[in-house]
Amino acid sequence: MSNFFSALGDIFTNESMYRNTMIVAVVLMFAASGELVAEKAGTINISLEGMMLAGAYAAAVGQARGGAWGGLAMAALAGLLVAAIQANMSHRLSADQFVVGLVLNVLVLGIVGFLVGSNEPESHVVKRFEIPGLSKIPLIGPALFDAPWVLYVVYPVVPAIWFLLYRTRWGLEVRAIGEDPNASDVSGLSVNKLRRQTIYLTGMLAGVGGGYFLYARSPLFEDSLIGGRGYIAIAAVIFGGWTLKGTVAGCVIFGLVSSFVLTIPGLGYKAIDTAFLAMAPNLVTIVVMLLFAKRVRQPAALARPFLRGLK
Amino acid sequence: MTSISDDVTVGGEHSSPPAVELIDITKRFGQIAACDRVNLTLHNGKIHGILGENGAGKSTLMKVLIGLVLPDAGQIRLHGRTVQITDPIDAAAHGIAMVHQHFSLVEALTVWENVALGDVGRLDHRHVRDRVGEISEHYGLHINPDDRISDLSAGMRQRVEIIKCLRRDPQVLVFDEPTSVLSPSESEFLFAALRRVVTEEGKAVALVSHKLPEILSVTDEVTIMRDGRVVQSGVTSGTDANTLARAMVGRDVVLRREHAAFGVLDSSIPTTTTTTTTVASQQPAAATPALRLVDLHVQSRDGRVLLDGLTLDVFPGEIVGVAGVEDNGQRTLGDVLSSLTTLESGRVEVGGVAIATGKAGAMARAGVGVIPEDRHDSGCVLDFTVAENLFIADPERVARRGLMSAAAMRKKADELITKFSINCTGANAPMWTLSGGNQQRVVMARELSHSPKVLVAAQPTHGLDVGAIEYMSEQLRSAAQSGVGVLLISTELEEILDLSDRIIVIFNGRIVGEMAKGDVDVDRLGMLMGGAGVAHE
Amino acid sequence: MSETAVFESEVVPENVPGERSKAASALEVLALYAICLFGALALAALLVEFGSDKGSWTSVYTVILDGAIRRPGRWGLTLGITAPILLVGLGTTVSGRAGLVNIGQEGQLVVGAGFACYVGVRIGGPGPIAIVVALACGIIGGAIWAGIAGALRFWRNVPEVLTTLLMGIVASNLVGWGLRNRFLLLAPPEGRANRNQVSLPLAKSHRIPRVELFGNEFPISIVLAVGLAIVVWLVLGRTVVGFRLRMLGRNARTARRAGVNQKRYGIGAMLVSGGFAGLAGAVMLAGGDFGDYQLVADFGAGIGFAGLLAALVARQRALVLIFVAFLFAGLRSGSGFLRATGVSARIADVVQGTLVLSMLLPPAILYLRARRRAIAATSART
Repeated sequence: MSNFFSALGDIFTNESMYRNTMIVAVVLMFAASGELVAEKAGTINISLEGMMLAGAYAAAVGQARGGAWGGLAMAALAGLLVAAIQANMSHRLSADQFVVGLVLNVLVLGIVGFLVGSNEPESHVVKRFEIPGLSKIPLIGPALFDAPWVLYVVYPVVPAIWFLLYRTRWGLEVRAIGEDPNASDVSGLSVNKLRRQTIYLTGMLAGVGGGYFLYARSPLFEDSLIGGRGYIAIAAVIFGGWTLKGTVAGCVIFGLVSSFVLTIPGLGYKAIDTAFLAMAPNLVTIVVMLLFAKRVRQPAALARPFLRGLK
Repeated sequence: MTSISDDVTVGGEHSSPPAVELIDITKRFGQIAACDRVNLTLHNGKIHGILGENGAGKSTLMKVLIGLVLPDAGQIRLHGRTVQITDPIDAAAHGIAMVHQHFSLVEALTVWENVALGDVGRLDHRHVRDRVGEISEHYGLHINPDDRISDLSAGMRQRVEIIKCLRRDPQVLVFDEPTSVLSPSESEFLFAALRRVVTEEGKAVALVSHKLPEILSVTDEVTIMRDGRVVQSGVTSGTDANTLARAMVGRDVVLRREHAAFGVLDSSIPTTTTTTTTVASQQPAAATPALRLVDLHVQSRDGRVLLDGLTLDVFPGEIVGVAGVEDNGQRTLGDVLSSLTTLESGRVEVGGVAIATGKAGAMARAGVGVIPEDRHDSGCVLDFTVAENLFIADPERVARRGLMSAAAMRKKADELITKFSINCTGANAPMWTLSGGNQQRVVMARELSHSPKVLVAAQPTHGLDVGAIEYMSEQLRSAAQSGVGVLLISTELEEILDLSDRIIVIFNGRIVGEMAKGDVDVDRLGMLMGGAGVAHE
Repeated sequence: MSETAVFESEVVPENVPGERSKAASALEVLALYAICLFGALALAALLVEFGSDKGSWTSVYTVILDGAIRRPGRWGLTLGITAPILLVGLGTTVSGRAGLVNIGQEGQLVVGAGFACYVGVRIGGPGPIAIVVALACGIIGGAIWAGIAGALRFWRNVPEVLTTLLMGIVASNLVGWGLRNRFLLLAPPEGRANRNQVSLPLAKSHRIPRVELFGNEFPISIVLAVGLAIVVWLVLGRTVVGFRLRMLGRNARTARRAGVNQKRYGIGAMLVSGGFAGLAGAVMLAGGDFGDYQLVADFGAGIGFAGLLAALVARQRALVLIFVAFLFAGLRSGSGFLRATGVSARIADVVQGTLVLSMLLPPAILYLRARRRAIAATSART
């Protein structure tokens, strides 16, 4: 037992533990804050995973040509491309959003896998950018303030999403169409157009998230890089009860879990098989949803397509 | 018979061009002309009534005006200038706004958020809140901009709708059947506010309605539509209920039932035949009730009380009408009897046997037939064929050892289609290709073909045309005659008065009054529906 | 003034799409599908041309066709791959018809294979019985895995879309762990390369028999799969149970009033769906077209996803699914020949993806059009 606690102590006093937490949490935040907007408007984007993967690959390619900024711009564009297909198929042609999302994930994985197999993209670790002073805070300082500079992009993104959702007309309209598309339609809102816009936004953010992950985690792109984190981002939105605060908290918790399981073998503890460590984030996600899914109120029109006319 | 003056501009009081002129508006849906060369003129400072039965084309005309429907032909002139109105935002820009009878408020949002919805430009919540306060004070509407819509009553919600309209300071206001969700006193309140809008600010108002008394007492001018055409138009003071009713239906109105259907309950029309209803009020005290509801309690998930100790009996062979303003527990009552809601406490008995609530299919098996309020929600499967929809509840009837026989199903379906004169391309037509009236007939045919002990009909004629309404009423009567206990839940008081042997009033999930057919007091009924005589929370 | 117009018709006449317009649209439908199919293939061809520095699209398509059916013995392999894809697709059809979105077949398949392997290498007895027992264990494994997601959906309102997916990732880790442990799946050290994580192979008698036809060899599991497709088609279309299941998928509230117990039917559909995926895993293990009758890491090889996609393309019609499954299996067996051209075999996944995506278009377009017509025809004057 004392072994167990000393292990816990080791883990929680390990700097890289917090660094890894932050990396995963930030990836999830990019994706989940976009997904939150889309879900507020009534879409569950299974293709979030594909958007992130496309973003990561585009970042790898773009960075080789146009540096880190170029890579991020490419990542946003790639996410947007996936989003464009998802949005127009599910909210113009009213094809089933889950089906479209799933197919897109498979397709993106196939295309990226094909391209990686055919060409070798180059990529480089993005420079860290240390914020003097703050980065000296013990334990969490380096994680928060001495990181690849892309991380700092997420700091303004989260409040921006809040402002967008709760202080702008667009945000009001988004919340309205997710609750009652018929009433919104009668009030003169263009329901499906707004829903498409939310997905475009999600695509760009998820793409940037994917690009960030590539920069922060591994300089070499693999098609298993995202590995289901898109689904965990969706779960974070559910965990957060469709509030921004809750969603961000969910991202941090899921980040903590995946970092935790990464840190254990690194510190020399081999008692737990890596398989269990690898599945832990997914299990935690399921358990968390099991506890919270029934308690929170979801947007009333979530995952319901809108068609004017026949009810 | 006197006729209405066709000349609207009496005494030349309208020197400026009229606020709205709709000229030769035509709109076709398939073969049917919903509007056929319709003309309508609205003047500033006047309330213009648009009268017609369900399906006469009045709503389509209004949708043209607010840009929800594009006309096939015709012109729209505002203050003498020809304009194109392509969508509601366009209409708003031209100063035209509509108060909808349903579906325009988002329940999860607050009053001010709803008022801001559909506007353009930067969202300034302080400004919107102030404006809501201003308007509500000016017109005496008394509403708190930060209340959530889901916490408001139907009457309050309508006030929000009105504020939503007035916020953009429109010159033309359209009200679509505004009183269908209101109690009588709330209606009076609404019309007082309406009068203020017209007299103080000189706005033009169009009031769409199928209720004669409303049109007579509130409007300055009236246009009557029938079959997509304008049949008469003129000043309201120059006419009377009799003339209007005749113009609306196209023949002399002789039956009480029809008077009732148009909301004429007072003595303004001499009734030649008193009633055609032949079912005697049979209520043997000793008989077992077909349906007995004892002390039903239901709460919503967020803790609102939906049914609050509701108790009632329905005996075989009688029609019990549940009158009440919308949203007072009728929907929940229907859900309980459809096995869709579980009781918190209380008891449902069918023919003396207690039935478990909320258990899939239990009510249907016990012999409770339901024509639900929203047939698309729990009455039929739109993607199934007509035949499949006819055997939803008991596919065993057309199956042997779990294997369904397409031939048997087809044969029995054809029988029902003929018997209930369902107009469709065949038993295998998808349900969604049928019109609302015919979908309703399918539901009715299915529920009656199970020979139920109890038939629950919730808003059975909502949104149907006159022919379909008559048919439904006939069917309910004959069901009662054959010994079925019929529970008619309706917000249309006239329908209740016409059909029921016994009338009970529901308010806030409770029964607050009961009267037998013989001694109906319409005034008292109205008071009860509005909650008078009940302690307010 | 006189009243000339008399109130005539009581029923608004209908104008539903008639026989004539139906016949006229058959050609349109065909054309629409053809266009989408062509678009999908063209898109994949473009990717080969511009996304890769080796090979050309003509060579890729030729090679895939060769590898799928034209070369001797190849269509036998394609049939062997068809069986599990078809089985997974059948399960997806059942859950889809009940209105549930099970997209974790890959994991359910792997669990099924794991169960079948654990039991299959341990039991003795006569071959046929052992095979049936192993397949049954596969079904149980898959059903448990999907059943968990189903139970969470109906008892705790957790969206099955997510749980099935997440459980899929858990499944592959779990089976991977089993493959590292002797007491579960790992084969004894003698006879396997060091550090290689594989299970013992099934005994010769415990394998699904293979037959030979015109120089092509394939396991009889394809017969089983096609037979089950007919069963699923019959049950869904012709029985009371299938009727109720479809009702649940189309309108849950109407179904509940009509006596369909949502929990029982919903969880039942999930169990069947997972069971089919588990059976597919067992069939892969015992069929011989996926490795040497032994469980290896990443055993699923994307068959679960392929089956799911096939069901989507077939739009949940069991008989159509047979052909779609064969097509997808052909893509897979054909891509095995791609190495010669230097083009990554992943191009098969791309073709499969664009195909599925494009096949979503025609029904959506047709539905929207039919709907517009119906609205125009039935909008009574309100």
